[in-house]
Amino acid sequence: MAVSILKERWTSKLYETTIGTGDKAVKFGGDSTLPYLQFEGEIPNRPAVALEITDVEPTDWPDFLKAHWEGVLADPVAWAKQAAEYGADLIALRLDSAHPDKGNASAEDVAKTAKAVADATDLPLIVIGCGVEEKDGAIFPAVGEALAGKNALIGCATQENYNSIVAAAMVNGHNVIASSPLDINLCKQLNILMTEMNLPAERIVIDPLIGALGYGIEYAYSIMERSRLGALTGDKMLAMPVVCFVGQEAWKAKEAKDVESPEGQTWGEQGTRAILWEVMTSTTLLQAGGSLFVMRHPESLKKFKAHVEEISKSNA
Amino acid sequence: MPNYNIKFLPDDKEVQIEPTDTVLRAAEKAGIAVKSACGGGGSCGRCAVLVKEGEVTKGQTAKLTKEQLAQGWVLACQVKPLTDLVIDIPAESRLSQHQVLTESRGDKGLLKEAQLKDLGLAGHPLYWSVYVELTPPTLTEAFDDLSRLTTEVRRITGIDNLQLGLETLKKLASTLREGEWKATVYLAEGSGFTEIADILPGKAEDKYYGLAIDIGTTTVVVYLVDLATGEILGSKGGYNKQAKYGDDVITRIVHAVEEKDGLAELHEAVIGSLNELIDTVLKEHGVRRGQVKSVVSAGNTTMTHLFLGIQPTYIRLEPYIPTVNSVPPVRAKDLGLHVHPQAWVHSLPNIASYVGGDITSGVLVTGMAQSDQLTLLIDIGTNGEMVLGNSDWLIACSCSAGPAFEGGGIKYGMRAMHGAIERVRILPGFGVECKTIGNGKPVGICGSGLIDCIATLRDAAIIDRTGKFSSDLEISRIRDTDEGPEFVLVWANDSGIGEDITISENDIKNLIRSKGAIFAGIRVMLGMVDLPVEAIDEILIAGGFGNYLNIHDSVTIGLLPDLPTEKYKFIGNSSVKGAYLSLVSHNARRMVEEIAQKMTYLELSVGNSFLDEFVSALFLPHTDLSLFPSVHK
Repeated sequence: MAVSILKERWTSKLYETTIGTGDKAVKFGGDSTLPYLQFEGEIPNRPAVALEITDVEPTDWPDFLKAHWEGVLADPVAWAKQAAEYGADLIALRLDSAHPDKGNASAEDVAKTAKAVADATDLPLIVIGCGVEEKDGAIFPAVGEALAGKNALIGCATQENYNSIVAAAMVNGHNVIASSPLDINLCKQLNILMTEMNLPAERIVIDPLIGALGYGIEYAYSIMERSRLGALTGDKMLAMPVVCFVGQEAWKAKEAKDVESPEGQTWGEQGTRAILWEVMTSTTLLQAGGSLFVMRHPESLKKFKAHVEEISKSNA
Repeated sequence: MPNYNIKFLPDDKEVQIEPTDTVLRAAEKAGIAVKSACGGGGSCGRCAVLVKEGEVTKGQTAKLTKEQLAQGWVLACQVKPLTDLVIDIPAESRLSQHQVLTESRGDKGLLKEAQLKDLGLAGHPLYWSVYVELTPPTLTEAFDDLSRLTTEVRRITGIDNLQLGLETLKKLASTLREGEWKATVYLAEGSGFTEIADILPGKAEDKYYGLAIDIGTTTVVVYLVDLATGEILGSKGGYNKQAKYGDDVITRIVHAVEEKDGLAELHEAVIGSLNELIDTVLKEHGVRRGQVKSVVSAGNTTMTHLFLGIQPTYIRLEPYIPTVNSVPPVRAKDLGLHVHPQAWVHSLPNIASYVGGDITSGVLVTGMAQSDQLTLLIDIGTNGEMVLGNSDWLIACSCSAGPAFEGGGIKYGMRAMHGAIERVRILPGFGVECKTIGNGKPVGICGSGLIDCIATLRDAAIIDRTGKFSSDLEISRIRDTDEGPEFVLVWANDSGIGEDITISENDIKNLIRSKGAIFAGIRVMLGMVDLPVEAIDEILIAGGFGNYLNIHDSVTIGLLPDLPTEKYKFIGNSSVKGAYLSLVSHNARRMVEEIAQKMTYLELSVGNSFLDEFVSALFLPHTDLSLFPSVHK
């Protein structure tokens, strides 16, 4: 007797979001089923992968990771070019220098850097603030203006600072990352607040504040799964694609950083395990429904893309 | 150690206290009721008084400004005298009289007399009389006097389980013979038995009365009832004097448990509050204490415990177990109530630690336990208590809403008293128009005013859906303070307290948490029985606060479900009405016990669904906007 495959009939699908302009513009989202059930619905776009660069030389990156970017760490323009060569779909520029403890650069200064990076590459741009909500709210009006017309993705907007970031995105034609701490209700609330400012829903990308493998990834997984189920059953305020900041989480993990402790000695070669940590975190969250991945190591990007290649083969 | 003289102004009252007593204690001794929301913990700042002369010890200074400290303001609960003192107690720090709800707007949703019969709730009162004519004994028919009497009473009333006390027994023989074997027998309902409380010769015309009592955390209400006719002769309401030991049940329990004599103080405070009202209402109607033969009280579980003088310790501690739910009647003399010492005092049954006799009383008097209609009964206060159900099932829960609805935890919050802002309108150009209770100069904002204020601020887009002030508005009424941004409702010039009356972002967040808890409770209960909100036929709003509530505002902020206003009914103080019904009908008294037995208690702290619903309700009106179609525009 033939096995009949049970298919769920979903009533809705994810918004499709486009970042950048021209040939290199990147499109993601638009799924009308759970991740990679090609037999059940449409998965029109592959996940996009960005490589992360910072506007000042990072101080908390492990040496192994920094070694790979030797020579460009202090120069975001050169760094962006090299990331493009490694095959990134987008460049994710983090404006760390605006952080009050890391130089407290002015809005005008970071806007200049952002503009310089944008001019140096034809890849779409993600621009992330320094993570201090008030400061990020203050720099994005200038950064948004400097990147006007680039259709960039800016953030991360929170309930505290979404007002100015959304306004900057609307005036200058950008998209916004909406960040909320692993809670489906808070996530929805922020999306409602932002769309009520008349930002179109397809210009929002959800950041659920994921954790790395071994550091709360299961919470991220279940929140992402719940938001995907909500989206497919018609909840428009959960139907935005999800970005996963994998690099920043995976490279904080003890397993990725540790080279000295006796325990670490038994875990095998650091480089291999660090890259695997970043890749495993990404592939897990890909399965949970992530659409955009921000990574730090080019080798991780390569391995992840190979995985995407396999998983994207239709099982219909 | 020497005692100190403390003189209070403007009352000009003087008392002596020991150096170990606080100024608050002194005020209490002087008979001045001072606000003390935190129960003397030094954290609420409500008992601020001004030291005019003399020295006091140092203590906590929560909520006092630098200027106030320099002027000599102290917290009465924190300082003790070092010398004789002269203290000024300002009006803001006093518990003032406020309108107590003895009657309320409309009695919609309550049972009418004709319905009582249909529902089998009609019956005789808990104290009543029967006239008997006995066959005199003879040599051949020689039953004893008591058997002769009980046989006849049983024949007339059908009551089997008759008891009587020694005093009545002692006068039985002479009374029967004095009346030539005709007598009036007075029967008092206990629990599971009927007592022959008294017997008088012949056809006695003595009047006898009963009391229906509601013991609220904040206020108490007494009805005087003529038990022969069932008529309510008069009602009186007043403060529960326990208020000086804290505003809510938790601080009261803490006081009872942690203070020496705390339980006795609370017991005496509530009995004292009741006796004052009882004395007044009896005097007004020319009734003697000895004529009041039966009492029915209804109160929340903690109040019931304190009324009876039972230690409420475990109500507050997980797994939240009260000493008693179904309370056996006790003699009035054991409580010290100013009624006949032998009168039975009935307390209506509790369901759980946070769903008490006031709620079962409400369920009784609304008839929801006998109705086919799906009814939701809500009593909104510090705790939101809810009952959902119909004649087939009843489910009850309680959620902690916090004191915001009663003005607690709100900078300029107050109860619904004279001068409280109850309506707010935003005029073009961000002018503000406030309407106050009694149309006096505004002195603060009450719960219903807060709800209206938030609905209005949201409508005018001054706050966003999380309750934050919109950052792109440059108006002078929005300003930053050390405690976050605030919005000026009334400028100092126009206010009755000489300073600006404001509502802060924190106030708004507090109220959003309160309304979120209530709405989440409703959602969890509905989820439990898997019914949509539209399935509710009728929503009954009980309690003092509910009486002032505006349904439209409440729906706008997401406190109450978005249902047509026709489905909402205000039932006022259903607690005292249920107590009254139980007093005048033994069948109603029995029914309320059955209702309590049948009600399923849902503990919201078990499982995750409440927390999830709560977070999604922390939004104006709700994260799921589809639940509020009439609000979402």
